[in-house]
Amino acid sequence: MNRFFLSIFFLGILLLPAWLPAQEKYLEVTAPGNRQLQLSIAAPVALGGGAQADIANEMRDVFQFDMALAGPFAVLQSPVAETRSGIRSGEFDFAVWRAAGADMLIKSGYTVSGQSVTIECRLYDVLTQKELAAKRYNGGRRDLRRMVHTFSDDVMAAVTGIRGPFTSKIAFVTTKSGNKEISLMDYDGHNVLRLTRNGSINLYPDFSPNGRELIFTSYKKRNPDLYRRELFSGTEARVTTYRGTNISGAYAPDGNRIALSMSKDGNAEIYILHKDGKQVARLTHTDAIEVSPAWSPDGTRIAFVSDRLGKPQLFIMDADGKNVRRLTTAGSYNVNPRWSPRGDRIAYCRQVGGGFQIFSLNPDGSDDTQLTSDGSNEHPRWSPDGRFITFSSKRGGREAIYVMRADGSGQVKVSRGNASDSQPVWSPRW
Amino acid sequence: MTLTFTRREWGLGTLIPVSLLFHIAFYAFCWWLHFFPTIHLPDAPVYYVDVVSLPVASPQAGTPGPPAQSAKEATPPKPRPQASEMKLPAPRSAARPQPSAKPPVSGAKESEQAAREFEERLSRIEKANEARHEAAALAALRSRAAGGTKPVGMPGGTGKEAGSDYASYIRSRLVDAFKTTIAYQSKDPRVIVTLNIDRTGRVTRSRVERSSGDRLFEESVKRAIAKAEKEFRPPPGGGVFEYGFIFSPQGVGKQ
Repeated sequence: MNRFFLSIFFLGILLLPAWLPAQEKYLEVTAPGNRQLQLSIAAPVALGGGAQADIANEMRDVFQFDMALAGPFAVLQSPVAETRSGIRSGEFDFAVWRAAGADMLIKSGYTVSGQSVTIECRLYDVLTQKELAAKRYNGGRRDLRRMVHTFSDDVMAAVTGIRGPFTSKIAFVTTKSGNKEISLMDYDGHNVLRLTRNGSINLYPDFSPNGRELIFTSYKKRNPDLYRRELFSGTEARVTTYRGTNISGAYAPDGNRIALSMSKDGNAEIYILHKDGKQVARLTHTDAIEVSPAWSPDGTRIAFVSDRLGKPQLFIMDADGKNVRRLTTAGSYNVNPRWSPRGDRIAYCRQVGGGFQIFSLNPDGSDDTQLTSDGSNEHPRWSPDGRFITFSSKRGGREAIYVMRADGSGQVKVSRGNASDSQPVWSPRW
Repeated sequence: MTLTFTRREWGLGTLIPVSLLFHIAFYAFCWWLHFFPTIHLPDAPVYYVDVVSLPVASPQAGTPGPPAQSAKEATPPKPRPQASEMKLPAPRSAARPQPSAKPPVSGAKESEQAAREFEERLSRIEKANEARHEAAALAALRSRAAGGTKPVGMPGGTGKEAGSDYASYIRSRLVDAFKTTIAYQSKDPRVIVTLNIDRTGRVTRSRVERSSGDRLFEESVKRAIAKAEKEFRPPPGGGVFEYGFIFSPQGVGKQ
């Protein structure tokens, strides 16, 4: 046996030169910084029929908003005078746009036929003069914004490889009717649709993974119970009938289970229910208050809030309740965790001064980064692609819904009106 | 009485260490040869390609202008024999000793004096030659620094050797272009690209050997290559040039 191993050893020595890395003929090419692509958005043109300024303006506004928020782009604002203003290759001059400093160019046009609108959008790389994306959409007049949002998603897919979230929705709690009701809007604040009309208090909305259902807590039966609503049929069902609080429900990634906080056994603990209300498991067994469960994207772990150490802190446990470990070590009041769909970050709120700010950190607790600083900001929720976060903020006086990029940049208010809007949650892509 | 010689067999316990030592010595020798080659290439003039877009020496530096002119300016003039140069004394043939009435002491003095004079003149000639060489070199440097319309390069070059490393030249063009296009969304993007450049300076093939997984970054690399290609000079020797380049953001991630 010794001779065998010695033979293998010497064979390895003989073959060592082959195993050594061969001298590779490579040179390093490095550059500092991280540049944004200079994107020009040409004014939409009428492809057939008469020009309609309202359609062109709306298309341009939607593109401007989406691309300014997207992140990879810096939208050029200076207008470019074109002698040829077609939208297809060969119908316009790239040199004009190159001279304006554009790296990318969006060209679009529309055709109106009765109540139907057809739009054609194209994305070009100005330097290489290549067409990166070209789509044509047809729909009713009221679908115009959605069609433009769809091409914005396509632009993100062409440039970054991952579709954007611009066609998704945000559900939120609003006091527009005088009560706290749940409404639905486009991510940019348009097309607001009221979902609940029970005249009671409705809180903590959360979408199912397929986006077809919404769970929320409602006091309409004089007890905070969990309800499930099918968005397209409007059917609503009561999920929990337990006395006490049934709050902060969170759909599991598999779409069949719901984690929530219930106080039916005394104090608020984390439970897992089947979506029809049947109890599956109780995950926490302490004298402390446990709330706000948040599933990891793979469904194997749950982040939650517990005051078992005296003040609310974030903890992580396995989906069966085992292996509980502390997540946050900074700050004395940390709440509202939400796991990024990419699984690499967890957003949460920390009490800072007299208000709250939004932070994000790695699932192992490292790289804790503050994302907001203006006013008081709460309830962060991720977009389906993990690029953006929606949250509520009181920076403008009345609470409103904002969106920002995952690194905290590009914060912009999206909710409209004078009501108090809060507890936003971002839908999956529809 | 018979003598018996016991032949001692070397077992594995002895042979293995001996073999091990031999192999280690062999590989150490190969390693030493690799890092300390005994053959030293002659020193060549060094040309630096500035990464800031200054006029870059053509990789085909050395392409001659009119032959006569280049020969005049490039080649230092050979030293001309001085008229006053003393000819070396002819080798003395084996002469028969002739009886001479002169005493031998005065003959030795003359030969010493002649030798001294010879050495003095030789040293003067050598100094003059050195001065002439220096002047010629200075004149060549001045004409090179003055530039003009002629390409700067190796004196007497045929245009087939590069005065600067062509791969480094291409790298410098890529760095300049990459500074204006770099964009990424991942934490530590690195992409390895092999470029094939034909004899006209066009990129005929751009192959991604190792992807970074960050499409935004790789598109910025492609744009940098497209932008830099416009400034590429043809490779020296008129052949196809192939080389690999590793693109990465500066200061991000490990080296």
